[in-house]
Amino acid sequence: MRACAVGLLILALTGCNGGTVDRHALKRDAEKVASLATEGGLLADDVAKGSSTKYFARVHAEELSRAASDLSDALATRPTSPGIETDVRRLSRVAGKVSHHLQQLHLHPTSRAVARSLEQPLSDDADAADELSK
Amino acid sequence: MKIFQVALGILAAIGGFVDIGDLVFNVSAGATFGYELLWVVVIGVVGIIVYSEMCGRVAAVSGKAVFDAVRERLGFRTGLIALISAQVVNLMTLTAEVGGVAICLQLLSGLPYRWLILIAGIALALVVWITSFDWIERIFGYGGLCLLVFAVAAVKLHPGWGAVAHGFVPHVDTGSPLLYAYFAVGLLGAAMTPYEVYFYSSGAVEEQWGPKDLGLNKVNALIGYGLGGFLSFALMIVGGALFLGKGIEPEFLGSITLGAEVPLGQVGLLLALVGIVFAVGGAAIDTLFSGAYNLAQFLGWEWGRYRSPSGAPRFTLTWIVLLLLGLGAVMTGVDPVQLTEYAVIFSAVALPLTYIPILLVANDHAYMREYTNGRLANALGVLYLVVIVIISLTAVPLMILTNVGQN
Repeated sequence: MRACAVGLLILALTGCNGGTVDRHALKRDAEKVASLATEGGLLADDVAKGSSTKYFARVHAEELSRAASDLSDALATRPTSPGIETDVRRLSRVAGKVSHHLQQLHLHPTSRAVARSLEQPLSDDADAADELSK
Repeated sequence: MKIFQVALGILAAIGGFVDIGDLVFNVSAGATFGYELLWVVVIGVVGIIVYSEMCGRVAAVSGKAVFDAVRERLGFRTGLIALISAQVVNLMTLTAEVGGVAICLQLLSGLPYRWLILIAGIALALVVWITSFDWIERIFGYGGLCLLVFAVAAVKLHPGWGAVAHGFVPHVDTGSPLLYAYFAVGLLGAAMTPYEVYFYSSGAVEEQWGPKDLGLNKVNALIGYGLGGFLSFALMIVGGALFLGKGIEPEFLGSITLGAEVPLGQVGLLLALVGIVFAVGGAAIDTLFSGAYNLAQFLGWEWGRYRSPSGAPRFTLTWIVLLLLGLGAVMTGVDPVQLTEYAVIFSAVALPLTYIPILLVANDHAYMREYTNGRLANALGVLYLVVIVIISLTAVPLMILTNVGQN
């Protein structure tokens, strides 16, 4: 029982990997950034069609923006495994762009024009993050 | 009139079936594996039907709620472990539910989150203090029926019905077996969450059920939980149809409601948000009472919602303290959705300590007389006990190995 607990603890600690971004973590974070961008795109599309509400769009866009911003900050400073630093920093910039675009939606939750103008950039961000996840 | 009352009870049970754990795990499972885990929901729903019917029957015949049986059958020491684990999981669930209500109120109103935690807490306290049991059930059960919007959304999203049907056939995913197992355990834990049986059995004692109510008990458990499971199917189908193909990982309650907004627009969004407020608010009250019931029953205090606060002062004080602890915890800024995942996994660990005593008492002829378990109830009870022990042993290792379902 004790050996099992120690084993699980070791697994948990190795899972944390000392904060270093390895290829697996890069893939995982890139998928997250792509997910946030795609979800933001869905929200923007609903706002553009008048299918959402002011408060929902404002609050949910901010939630998504903050999550993207947190990822961007972490990826900008965390140490990386050899050979992937460029990709990690590029993903940080993509996450920053996602956060910025969603912040625009947060600030203009009723503007169909703003929402429409954000759909393509968010789609591009999702594609860029997808590329980095491969 | 009797049929009308039963129908109302069933409606309330459907609306009250889904809590934040079901919302999070069903939609996330759909977004990750499509419809492949629908069969697990069926197993979970049958499990909660089997054990709810059993503990309702025990309560009706012997007048004993779950923690009376726990103390009596497991002894003080093991019973104390069961009590502590139940209370920890209850408090985690309560915190997540209160946070969930506040998030949905924020998505509806745009007001600051922390203010809405306070408003949600005061509203829950007032409802519990002022409103009768029947009305609590009706208000939150009927309000929760708004979640049926997810069933409409599931149809409007045009899922592949062949794939949906295939999802009801038990099978194992060989691509990501650990992640698949993690979601299976989470879905079973969410469907068979222990507070539901604590509340159900204590409510039966409170309403002074006797052997004449055993028919009502069967109907409530079978149809109420059975149809409630229908909402779980709808949530998973929405997750699969909307999020899986787009690679979206629904990490927020707002993401889940987007599942109603995309196919149904503003009306869908508002119904989903209102439905979650009532369903999750009702679950918060269930967990609040469950915590007070468990402690009072274990320590032999006077307990009951039908007693005046002065008639059961320690019971009343317990739910007030639990509510304050839950509010304090959610005020720290803990993410209710993440907390829900931990609460569901830890509740899976605590499941055997809840369900073993029920099975033992339901087989005790001295208490149950001619109402002891029949062959079918025992066969299902033992089968589910094996399932419960397996998920209780594997829940935490799977949570660690999959990084809480992230890998």
